[in-house]
Amino acid sequence: MSHAMDVLPYAVAAWLFAVGLYGIASSRNLIHLVGCLSVCQSATYALLLGLGYRWGSVAPIFYDHPPGTPAVDPVVQALVLTDIVVGATLTALLLVLTVQVYKRGGSLDPETLRPMRGGRTPDSAPTSGSKAAP
Amino acid sequence: MSALLAVLFLLTAASGTAVVLVRDPGRQIFAIAANGLVLTLLFTALQAPDVALSELAVGVAAVPLLFLVALMAVRAGRPEAGSGGDEA
Repeated sequence: MSHAMDVLPYAVAAWLFAVGLYGIASSRNLIHLVGCLSVCQSATYALLLGLGYRWGSVAPIFYDHPPGTPAVDPVVQALVLTDIVVGATLTALLLVLTVQVYKRGGSLDPETLRPMRGGRTPDSAPTSGSKAAP
Repeated sequence: MSALLAVLFLLTAASGTAVVLVRDPGRQIFAIAANGLVLTLLFTALQAPDVALSELAVGVAAVPLLFLVALMAVRAGRPEAGSGGDEA
Protein backbone atom coordinates (compact mmCIF):
# COMPACT_ATOMS: atom_id res chain seq x y z
CA MET A 1 0.00 0.00 0.00
CA SER A 2 2.75 2.42 0.91
CA HIS A 3 4.81 1.45 -2.12
CA ALA A 4 1.85 1.95 -4.43
CA MET A 5 1.17 5.29 -2.77
CA ASP A 6 4.73 6.41 -3.56
CA VAL A 7 4.36 5.76 -7.28
CA LEU A 8 0.76 6.94 -7.67
CA PRO A 9 1.32 10.74 -8.04
CA TYR A 10 3.98 10.20 -10.72
CA ALA A 11 1.78 7.66 -12.51
CA VAL A 12 -1.20 10.03 -12.45
CA ALA A 13 0.95 12.92 -13.70
CA ALA A 14 2.34 10.81 -16.53
CA TRP A 15 -1.14 9.58 -17.44
CA LEU A 16 -2.58 13.12 -17.47
CA PHE A 17 0.26 14.40 -19.65
CA ALA A 18 -0.05 11.47 -22.07
CA VAL A 19 -3.81 11.69 -22.38
CA GLY A 20 -3.66 15.46 -22.87
CA LEU A 21 -1.02 15.03 -25.57
CA TYR A 22 -3.22 12.42 -27.26
CA GLY A 23 -6.11 14.86 -27.16
CA ILE A 24 -4.01 17.64 -28.70
CA ALA A 25 -2.77 15.37 -31.47
CA SER A 26 -6.20 13.97 -32.34
CA SER A 27 -8.35 17.07 -31.83
CA ARG A 28 -10.58 18.33 -34.63
CA ASN A 29 -11.67 21.54 -32.90
CA LEU A 30 -9.39 24.31 -31.70
CA ILE A 31 -11.47 25.04 -28.58
CA HIS A 32 -11.30 21.35 -27.65
CA LEU A 33 -7.54 21.52 -28.24
CA VAL A 34 -7.14 24.33 -25.71
CA GLY A 35 -9.03 22.23 -23.15
CA CYS A 36 -6.70 19.29 -23.80
CA LEU A 37 -3.74 21.62 -23.25
CA SER A 38 -5.13 22.54 -19.82
CA VAL A 39 -5.31 18.82 -19.00
CA CYS A 40 -1.63 18.58 -19.96
CA GLN A 41 -0.90 21.40 -17.59
CA SER A 42 -2.83 19.86 -14.71
CA ALA A 43 -0.25 17.05 -14.86
CA THR A 44 2.30 19.53 -13.55
CA TYR A 45 0.02 20.39 -10.62
CA ALA A 46 -0.27 16.76 -9.61
CA LEU A 47 3.47 16.19 -10.06
CA LEU A 48 4.60 19.23 -8.05
CA LEU A 49 2.16 18.78 -5.17
CA GLY A 50 2.79 15.04 -5.06
CA LEU A 51 6.51 15.79 -4.80
CA GLY A 52 5.97 18.15 -1.89
CA TYR A 53 3.70 15.87 0.15
CA ARG A 54 5.77 13.87 2.65
CA TRP A 55 4.89 11.52 5.45
CA GLY A 56 6.81 11.64 8.71
CA SER A 57 9.26 14.33 7.74
CA VAL A 58 9.79 17.84 9.03
CA ALA A 59 10.12 20.84 6.76
CA PRO A 60 12.94 23.21 7.78
CA ILE A 61 10.68 26.12 8.63
CA PHE A 62 8.53 23.94 10.92
CA TYR A 63 11.33 22.87 13.24
CA ASP A 64 8.97 22.83 16.23
CA HIS A 65 6.32 20.93 14.29
CA PRO A 66 5.73 17.53 15.92
CA PRO A 67 7.09 14.72 13.73
CA GLY A 68 4.76 12.01 12.56
CA THR A 69 2.19 14.48 11.29
CA PRO A 70 2.06 15.32 7.57
CA ALA A 71 4.35 18.14 6.51
CA VAL A 72 4.30 19.88 3.16
CA ASP A 73 6.91 21.78 1.17
CA PRO A 74 5.69 25.36 0.69
CA VAL A 75 8.10 26.02 -2.18
CA VAL A 76 6.33 23.68 -4.60
CA GLN A 77 2.98 25.02 -3.44
CA ALA A 78 4.10 28.52 -4.45
CA LEU A 79 5.26 27.05 -7.78
CA VAL A 80 1.83 25.50 -8.37
CA LEU A 81 0.15 28.79 -7.48
CA THR A 82 2.19 30.51 -10.18
CA ASP A 83 1.44 27.63 -12.54
CA ILE A 84 -2.33 28.02 -12.16
CA VAL A 85 -2.25 31.74 -12.91
CA VAL A 86 0.03 31.25 -15.91
CA GLY A 87 -2.24 28.48 -17.15
CA ALA A 88 -5.34 30.67 -17.00
CA THR A 89 -3.54 33.43 -18.88
CA LEU A 90 -2.33 30.97 -21.50
CA THR A 91 -5.85 29.59 -21.93
CA ALA A 92 -7.29 33.09 -22.42
CA LEU A 93 -4.63 33.98 -25.00
CA LEU A 94 -5.14 30.75 -26.95
CA LEU A 95 -8.93 31.16 -26.96
CA VAL A 96 -8.60 34.70 -28.35
CA LEU A 97 -6.28 33.33 -31.04
CA THR A 98 -8.84 30.60 -31.78
CA VAL A 99 -11.61 33.16 -32.26
CA GLN A 100 -9.36 35.18 -34.56
CA VAL A 101 -8.50 32.06 -36.56
CA TYR A 102 -12.21 31.35 -36.95
CA LYS A 103 -12.86 34.91 -38.12
CA ARG A 104 -10.10 34.69 -40.71
CA GLY A 105 -10.56 31.14 -41.93
CA GLY A 106 -14.16 30.23 -41.11
CA SER A 107 -13.33 26.86 -39.57
CA LEU A 108 -12.16 25.48 -36.24
CA ASP A 109 -10.65 22.27 -37.61
CA PRO A 110 -6.84 22.34 -37.32
CA GLU A 111 -6.59 20.17 -40.44
CA THR A 112 -8.03 22.95 -42.61
CA LEU A 113 -5.67 25.67 -41.41
CA ARG A 114 -3.74 27.40 -44.18
CA PRO A 115 -0.39 29.15 -43.80
CA MET A 116 -0.64 32.78 -42.80
CA ARG A 117 -0.14 35.48 -45.41
CA GLY A 118 1.83 38.63 -44.85
CA GLY A 119 -0.70 41.36 -45.57
CA ARG A 120 -4.39 41.80 -45.96
CA THR A 121 -4.20 43.44 -49.41
CA PRO A 122 -3.25 41.11 -52.28
CA ASP A 123 -0.57 43.38 -53.79
CA SER A 124 1.49 43.47 -50.58
CA ALA A 125 1.58 39.67 -50.23
CA PRO A 126 4.26 38.87 -52.88
CA THR A 127 6.64 41.58 -51.69
CA SER A 128 6.51 40.85 -47.96
CA GLY A 129 6.29 37.08 -48.16
CA SER A 130 8.62 36.48 -51.09
CA LYS A 131 10.88 34.02 -49.31
CA ALA A 132 7.96 31.88 -48.12
CA ALA A 133 6.50 31.48 -51.58
CA PRO A 134 8.19 28.82 -53.74
CA MET B 1 -5.77 9.75 4.72
CA SER B 2 -3.68 7.73 2.31
CA ALA B 3 -6.72 5.98 0.88
CA LEU B 4 -8.44 9.34 0.41
CA LEU B 5 -5.41 10.66 -1.45
CA ALA B 6 -5.31 7.60 -3.70
CA VAL B 7 -9.00 7.97 -4.53
CA LEU B 8 -8.56 11.66 -5.30
CA PHE B 9 -5.53 11.02 -7.52
CA LEU B 10 -7.48 8.39 -9.46
CA LEU B 11 -10.44 10.77 -9.75
CA THR B 12 -8.08 13.41 -11.15
CA ALA B 13 -6.85 11.01 -13.80
CA ALA B 14 -10.42 10.01 -14.67
CA SER B 15 -11.71 13.56 -14.96
CA GLY B 16 -8.73 14.62 -17.07
CA THR B 17 -9.44 11.71 -19.38
CA ALA B 18 -13.07 12.82 -19.54
CA VAL B 19 -12.01 16.32 -20.62
CA VAL B 20 -10.04 14.83 -23.51
CA LEU B 21 -12.64 12.28 -24.56
CA VAL B 22 -15.64 14.64 -24.61
CA ARG B 23 -15.32 15.92 -28.16
CA ASP B 24 -18.14 18.46 -28.25
CA PRO B 25 -16.81 21.81 -26.93
CA GLY B 26 -20.17 22.72 -25.42
CA ARG B 27 -20.14 19.60 -23.27
CA GLN B 28 -16.41 19.81 -22.67
CA ILE B 29 -16.95 22.97 -20.60
CA PHE B 30 -18.76 20.91 -17.95
CA ALA B 31 -15.94 18.37 -17.95
CA ILE B 32 -13.40 21.19 -17.47
CA ALA B 33 -15.37 22.57 -14.53
CA ALA B 34 -15.61 19.09 -12.98
CA ASN B 35 -11.87 18.64 -13.49
CA GLY B 36 -11.23 21.91 -11.67
CA LEU B 37 -13.45 20.81 -8.79
CA VAL B 38 -11.64 17.48 -8.45
CA LEU B 39 -8.29 19.29 -8.55
CA THR B 40 -9.53 21.62 -5.79
CA LEU B 41 -10.43 18.64 -3.59
CA LEU B 42 -7.04 17.04 -4.34
CA PHE B 43 -5.14 20.18 -3.38
CA THR B 44 -7.13 20.46 -0.16
CA ALA B 45 -6.26 16.86 0.70
CA LEU B 46 -2.60 17.57 -0.11
CA GLN B 47 -2.59 20.35 2.54
CA ALA B 48 -2.26 23.18 0.03
CA PRO B 49 -5.27 25.35 0.89
CA ASP B 50 -4.06 28.50 -0.89
CA VAL B 51 -3.46 26.58 -4.09
CA ALA B 52 -6.90 25.00 -3.69
CA LEU B 53 -8.47 28.41 -3.30
CA SER B 54 -6.86 29.79 -6.45
CA GLU B 55 -7.71 26.61 -8.36
CA LEU B 56 -11.31 26.99 -7.19
CA ALA B 57 -11.46 30.55 -8.50
CA VAL B 58 -9.57 29.88 -11.72
CA GLY B 59 -10.41 26.30 -12.64
CA VAL B 60 -14.07 26.18 -11.67
CA ALA B 61 -15.20 29.73 -12.45
CA ALA B 62 -12.82 31.68 -14.69
CA VAL B 63 -11.62 29.12 -17.24
CA PRO B 64 -15.08 27.63 -18.04
CA LEU B 65 -16.41 31.17 -18.45
CA LEU B 66 -13.55 31.90 -20.86
CA PHE B 67 -14.42 28.79 -22.86
CA LEU B 68 -18.09 29.82 -22.83
CA VAL B 69 -17.25 33.30 -24.14
CA ALA B 70 -15.03 31.85 -26.87
CA LEU B 71 -17.76 29.40 -27.89
CA MET B 72 -20.36 32.18 -27.99
CA ALA B 73 -18.02 34.37 -30.07
CA VAL B 74 -17.47 31.54 -32.53
CA ARG B 75 -21.18 30.78 -32.78
CA ALA B 76 -22.11 34.46 -33.15
CA GLY B 77 -19.68 35.00 -36.03
CA ARG B 78 -20.72 31.92 -37.97
CA PRO B 79 -22.52 33.19 -41.12
CA GLU B 80 -19.86 35.46 -42.60
CA ALA B 81 -16.16 34.90 -42.22
CA GLY B 82 -14.26 38.06 -42.95
CA SER B 83 -14.73 41.69 -41.98
CA GLY B 84 -17.04 42.33 -39.06
CA GLY B 85 -18.91 39.20 -38.12
CA ASP B 86 -20.58 40.55 -34.98
CA GLU B 87 -24.13 40.27 -36.24
CA ALA B 88 -25.56 36.78 -36.07
